[in-house]
Amino acid sequence: MRHRSGGAPVRSSSERPHAALPRPDGAWPGEPPGARPDGDEPRPEDVIAFPDGLPGFEACRRFVLLSSSELAPFSVLRALDPPAPAFLLIDPVAVLARYRRVLAEADRRRLQADDQDALLWLAIVSVGGDRSASVNLRAPIVINPRLMIGCQVMPHESLYPLRHPLTL
Amino acid sequence: MLVFTRKRNEAIVIGDGIEVVVLRAARDVVKLGVNAPANVAVHRREIYDLIRRENASAARPPEEIDRWISQLARGPRPGRRESPR
Repeated sequence: MRHRSGGAPVRSSSERPHAALPRPDGAWPGEPPGARPDGDEPRPEDVIAFPDGLPGFEACRRFVLLSSSELAPFSVLRALDPPAPAFLLIDPVAVLARYRRVLAEADRRRLQADDQDALLWLAIVSVGGDRSASVNLRAPIVINPRLMIGCQVMPHESLYPLRHPLTL
Repeated sequence: MLVFTRKRNEAIVIGDGIEVVVLRAARDVVKLGVNAPANVAVHRREIYDLIRRENASAARPPEEIDRWISQLARGPRPGRRESPR
């Protein structure tokens, strides 16, 4: 399975975050798109549809994924719909080398993914007030870059914790 | 809330294509079977609530991420040597 580790494949070191998803031809976007700090509208091709939203943010159906060398190994998932929450993400394999990406058939269908699709797996980072951080390995975000569809998967049985301590 | 009394192996149907069947009932435990289309997510309430709460505490307002990104863009990352420009 084709997958870039680190969750933030970036070629240039521009100060602007880049959309982190490959184009259909497999190339990574070279210019800074996405919802940028200056409030520009994201390009339509950078918008990822989350048909069910995220638990707790069910009304947020459109997101952009931002990445830059300054952000690495993190990337940012930003909702375009109010209340426009933003999430810090990291490749679960970067956190736990033996992390296994197992997708239930129902989730595969939600993502309309076929066997050929290289899916992007990212875990949500939660930063506490005391600068401690944990990673939600229990319910990762999975994105199908071919169709730009994403969802947060919640396997009925999971080996992984909701709050895995983050040490980098 | 709609309330149904059901016997074992009886079901209720929700909308188009979602069926909940009572498989077994004991004093404090009911075993349910759910038949739903593949694109309908079915979760135990407490798991969903747990993940909801975790998402809520992980979510940051966009301004905070903006600030964070611009700080990162300005200075070297702690623990990482700055590359010469």
